[in-house]
Amino acid sequence: MGSRARRMSVILVALALLALAVLASLALGSKPIPVGDVLSALRDGDGGEHATIVRGMRVPRTLVGLEVGAALALAGVAMQALTRNPLADPRILGVSAGAAAGVVTAIAVFGITTLTGYVWFGLVGAAVAGVLVYAVTGRAGVSPVNVALAGAAVDASLGALIYGLLAVDARTFDEYRFWAVGALAGRTPDMAAQVLPFVMAGLLLAVVAARGLDALALGDDVARGLGFRVGRVRLAAAGAAVLLTGAAVAVAGPIAFVGLAVPHLARGLVGADHRWVVAVSVLLGPALVLAADVVGRVITPPGEVPTGVVTALVGAPLLVVLVHRARAVSA
Amino acid sequence: MTAPGGSACREAGRDLRAGLPGRPALRIGEASALVHRRGVAVTVALAAVLAAAVVASLSLGEVTVGPVQVLRAVFLGGTPEDLLVNELRLPRTALAAAAGAAFGLGGALIQSVSRNPLASPDVIGVTQGAGLAATYALTTGVAAAAVAPAALAGGLAAAALVFAIGARHGLAAHRFVLSGVAVAFALRALIEIIIVSADPIDGQRAQIWLIGSLNGRGWTEAAAVAGTLLLTGPALLWAARALHTTALDDDTARGLGARPVARRLGLGVTGVLLAAAATAQVGAVDFVALVAPQVARRLAGTDRPPLLGAALVGAVLVVLADLVGRRLLAPTQLPAGVLTAAIGGPYLVFLLVRGRRRGSV
Repeated sequence: MGSRARRMSVILVALALLALAVLASLALGSKPIPVGDVLSALRDGDGGEHATIVRGMRVPRTLVGLEVGAALALAGVAMQALTRNPLADPRILGVSAGAAAGVVTAIAVFGITTLTGYVWFGLVGAAVAGVLVYAVTGRAGVSPVNVALAGAAVDASLGALIYGLLAVDARTFDEYRFWAVGALAGRTPDMAAQVLPFVMAGLLLAVVAARGLDALALGDDVARGLGFRVGRVRLAAAGAAVLLTGAAVAVAGPIAFVGLAVPHLARGLVGADHRWVVAVSVLLGPALVLAADVVGRVITPPGEVPTGVVTALVGAPLLVVLVHRARAVSA
Repeated sequence: MTAPGGSACREAGRDLRAGLPGRPALRIGEASALVHRRGVAVTVALAAVLAAAVVASLSLGEVTVGPVQVLRAVFLGGTPEDLLVNELRLPRTALAAAAGAAFGLGGALIQSVSRNPLASPDVIGVTQGAGLAATYALTTGVAAAAVAPAALAGGLAAAALVFAIGARHGLAAHRFVLSGVAVAFALRALIEIIIVSADPIDGQRAQIWLIGSLNGRGWTEAAAVAGTLLLTGPALLWAARALHTTALDDDTARGLGARPVARRLGLGVTGVLLAAAATAQVGAVDFVALVAPQVARRLAGTDRPPLLGAALVGAVLVVLADLVGRRLLAPTQLPAGVLTAAIGGPYLVFLLVRGRRRGSV
């Protein structure tokens, strides 16, 4: 593995999958629309019924899905490298729960209702939870089990507090529960635009940190010997993880397992080189999220299963497989 | 976690010292138990704290009743506060104490078996399984009486699933605990499907159940939990002794003539049963099962969570959480689970930081 040609072909296949997922996301749903009509609706948007559905509803949620998928996958790459822990994922580490707690605080305490407002609170929440998990578990040497347990406990703890805040208020609760399970439904083009700067900034940081992460994998001393500034690499990767998680959670709620599954898949396909892992993850993450969203739309008509629920149902067995296979998990 | 070897040496050393002459021991015929002086003092102190918490829970509310009147109402009856104290506050407080004791005991057993201070019913699937069954029952208009049995069955079934997935590597292995995390994720996703597709009112009812609350519950629920505590009593007496060998690593335990896997299975099942029974009656009052055994262990200064101590700390925690939840934002009643989560989260972080510094987590 690892030849350039092979890696390029992986990229091409991933691109094709992503294109397929985008097309499915635009065409499928409670009302399937033929691909030809989808394309013509995108081209001229004459205001017909199909054009309304495609442009008004499916394009925005597809755009949000692209952002969220890329963000969560890269956040997973950064977290797994940073903690040298194969089980790191924004949800598993409790960073998503921190972002969610931030957003709920914005709604319940400060009465904020705009997504831009959510994002800032989400970022602060993600950063606080991230620093906490990092302080508790450290860089390396702490077993993946305890990291996962700590994350699960933080997730449960913050979850209970959030619901406690909301238990008092039935109306907010009703809005919140749809957001809290991780969903792309009902997103507007504005929302996609509002989180874009945060996702782009996180993406940039992840790309910049990629080579440094390769060096970190060899150990701090070696990385320093190779001329990398270890502290800066970590800071960049942590910044990327927080920005990407905070933005993704603010717009779509905590969606689990994308950040866990995609980096593993990417490493399996192109090897451990982080530049390639980042490139493949940024394509496969959105493909996975869009596929989960499409599945959620069609399996229980006329209702919808939220995207985050689909990824959790697919991801949990994957976690079991990883746990049983990985040698690294034994301690 | 400590390295298995180091832990075993330390444990074995301590057991050896505990067996030396000059230590007080309690002997009744064949049976004998070493008396841990600090342990006894701590147990007595905890019982006193529990008694005070119970009296406070009976005293405070919309109408405050003085402690002396409370005691007279409970023990003599026929006082003006009879109805308020005995009919309204006593059953709820009894349930809180019983459920807390069951959570504490269940947590102590599960933590000892998995040798992981972070393992608790919500990590090994009990909470989520019970939650899934209860959510289904609450949102489909099943008779209210069916919610608790359904939750009990759900909790046990989920724990069995986790055992089945995780047991291949031996119950103590970390993979067992991680299998629980994975199953918990999947079950929570199913719970979320039900809540999102339910009517908002039903959804919120289910949500409050999931957090854990003692609102509107009483003698029936208390009797169910107390019954489970009594039924598991014999197993617990045996467990107190068996824990000595389960805390050793498997090879050492086998060398001492114990059957480690069978013992762990027995203790684990007892722990799961207690946690599931309590969850079925009061919902998932988070973190009590996690925190109580560790608090008791620290107070008693032992290596393993003491069972009676864990039960007492658990009872104190739930009684106080329910009391504070009732009074903090009165007349709004906060579910007890919110309070325990508020205390449990920071405590968990403390536990992890301390453990990391000492190299044991």
